[in-house]
Amino acid sequence: MSGALRFNVMHFMPYAHLPENHKEFKSTWVSFPNKYYDPEKGHELYQRYFEQLVLADKLGFDAIVLNEHHNTVYSMMATPNVVAAALVPQVKRAKICVWGVPPNFMLPNRLAEEYAILDVLSKGRLEIAFPLGTGMEYWSNPVNPVTSRERFRESLKIMLQAWKEDGPTTYYGKFYTYRFLNPWPRPYQKPHPPCYIVGTGSPETIELAAELGFGYSSVFVPKQKALELNEKLRERSAHYGHTLRPDQLPLLNFIYVAETQEEAEKEYPVHLQRFFEDYARSTPQWLAPPGYISVEQLKIRSAGADKMHGAFDFKAISGAFFISVGTPEKVANEMGEWAEKMKTNHLNSVMHVADMPHWKTVKNLTLFAEEVIPRLRKGENR
Amino acid sequence: MSKLVREEYTIDGVKTVLYTAGKGDPLVFFHGAGTVDGFDFAEAWTDKFRVIAAYHPGWGESGDDTTFTEIHDYVMHYLELFDALKLDTFNLVGLSLGGYLAAKFASEHGHRVKKLALIAPFGMHDPEHPTLDIISTPGEQVVPMLASNFEVLKNRLPANIDVEFLAARYRESTTVARLLWEHPIDSRLPRYLHRLQMPTLVVWGDEDKIIPVHQAQLWREHIPNAEVMIVKGAGHLVHLEKPEVAPAIGKFLL
Repeated sequence: MSGALRFNVMHFMPYAHLPENHKEFKSTWVSFPNKYYDPEKGHELYQRYFEQLVLADKLGFDAIVLNEHHNTVYSMMATPNVVAAALVPQVKRAKICVWGVPPNFMLPNRLAEEYAILDVLSKGRLEIAFPLGTGMEYWSNPVNPVTSRERFRESLKIMLQAWKEDGPTTYYGKFYTYRFLNPWPRPYQKPHPPCYIVGTGSPETIELAAELGFGYSSVFVPKQKALELNEKLRERSAHYGHTLRPDQLPLLNFIYVAETQEEAEKEYPVHLQRFFEDYARSTPQWLAPPGYISVEQLKIRSAGADKMHGAFDFKAISGAFFISVGTPEKVANEMGEWAEKMKTNHLNSVMHVADMPHWKTVKNLTLFAEEVIPRLRKGENR
Repeated sequence: MSKLVREEYTIDGVKTVLYTAGKGDPLVFFHGAGTVDGFDFAEAWTDKFRVIAAYHPGWGESGDDTTFTEIHDYVMHYLELFDALKLDTFNLVGLSLGGYLAAKFASEHGHRVKKLALIAPFGMHDPEHPTLDIISTPGEQVVPMLASNFEVLKNRLPANIDVEFLAARYRESTTVARLLWEHPIDSRLPRYLHRLQMPTLVVWGDEDKIIPVHQAQLWREHIPNAEVMIVKGAGHLVHLEKPEVAPAIGKFLL
């Protein structure tokens, strides 16, 4: 694995100033009143988060990762391509990953154009992931969740046609008609930037990634399920004649590094708790708008949801998901084990969560870059 | 009064379950956006009519047709079901979303509908008295709003809300979303209501919390021969709350 390992830092850019009464709201998504958004504070946060990502670039991270969410404190990146465009001149070396814009909320040609602009601007440093969009996004955008998967497939088909075939071409589909599909500019990378699909592991999405030869990153699924999904993708990719490479399986993880174990366990859990309990707080209805998942999936999720209730348990949650908190040595060891087990060399780490203060994020990034990455690269964990 | 009997058909590939009983002129009932209220109230009509109450595709015991994305697909489905049943002309009663379907059907195939009764029909847009958005209102909030006297509905709900019950509701919500998520307001509906030339009765509970009773006035204005019956002290499921409603509709249809 040495040498080939790749380290991303993923940022959600949360709006980190929840009002005191926020617990009165069942969800901080969809309907959480936007009167609580203060643009002055928003401005400061963007400055701070940009600084963190620019620092990550200087520290030697291989890529920075952005994504899209709507109507929520969880993320201030309703349009991540705008954020990416602002970052391109500041992030000089690292790849810029927009993972990504749900194509269902854009006209496919416009999304193909925006990504091409970013790729040309950054001289081929763009990577793309296609999410279906969480259930919450469908409450916030005027697209029928019942049609989400079908529309998703069609959007991807149009974008790939736009990138791979010389235009003008035509496209006559169920949702879109293009008499002149001929977007300018075209991507810097040929035929297009590396593509992934991100999701929570629904069989339809895995199948699509396999069919298109894309990478796949499962997010917010427990370790054992993530492993099964990777294996499933490998098997289905082979079925379509694609050999899945380790770098096509980005592994989402949450990391906090400190000088000592005690320090790490003192400084981090409160923010992770707020991340899960406050910033990611949603309702079953928001998570699964009608038709967003099948009735069978709903039954599985409803049965599973009962187990998720109860107080935040740092130990339990750290055991269930890819979360590593501690000294550089411990984190390097754990990440090395994950990479090996998951047959990936692509580690995608969230280094800032919820209302974590700037100094903690900076320390986390710095220690990770200076103490964890070299250990893993040298294979010191073995 | 006779007990309704289950019959099963395959209509254009879709399993279609209906409940039927009685002799006389046919009376077709279109149910609303949920099916927990059941069909048994319709037994009141079986003395004078041959009652036919089917589950629409995507609801209750009938199968799904995921290609149904607009109300007109349901009109087409019923045309085919009526062919299978060899029904030519009939009386038509529609409740809530089924009232919308009944009005659409009757505006397109008026010569087949002898008389029409609409119970708290969905479909009018009244910005002053808007219909509750059942898509975004959580189910646990919608259910208590269905009736003024919730007792009439309570015994039709399971004692413990289990996964199976939630899944059945999710499936019906999905069917509703397929129809109404993007366009909950059908601006063409009032445009063609003047074609309802048959005698029409509009029934409404004056305490309806789902579709406000004020909307009855809009229906009266758009339908040439509409009679309006306002029932005091009743909510959206007026036919369950007030036992006199079904016989009154039956009397009108005779």
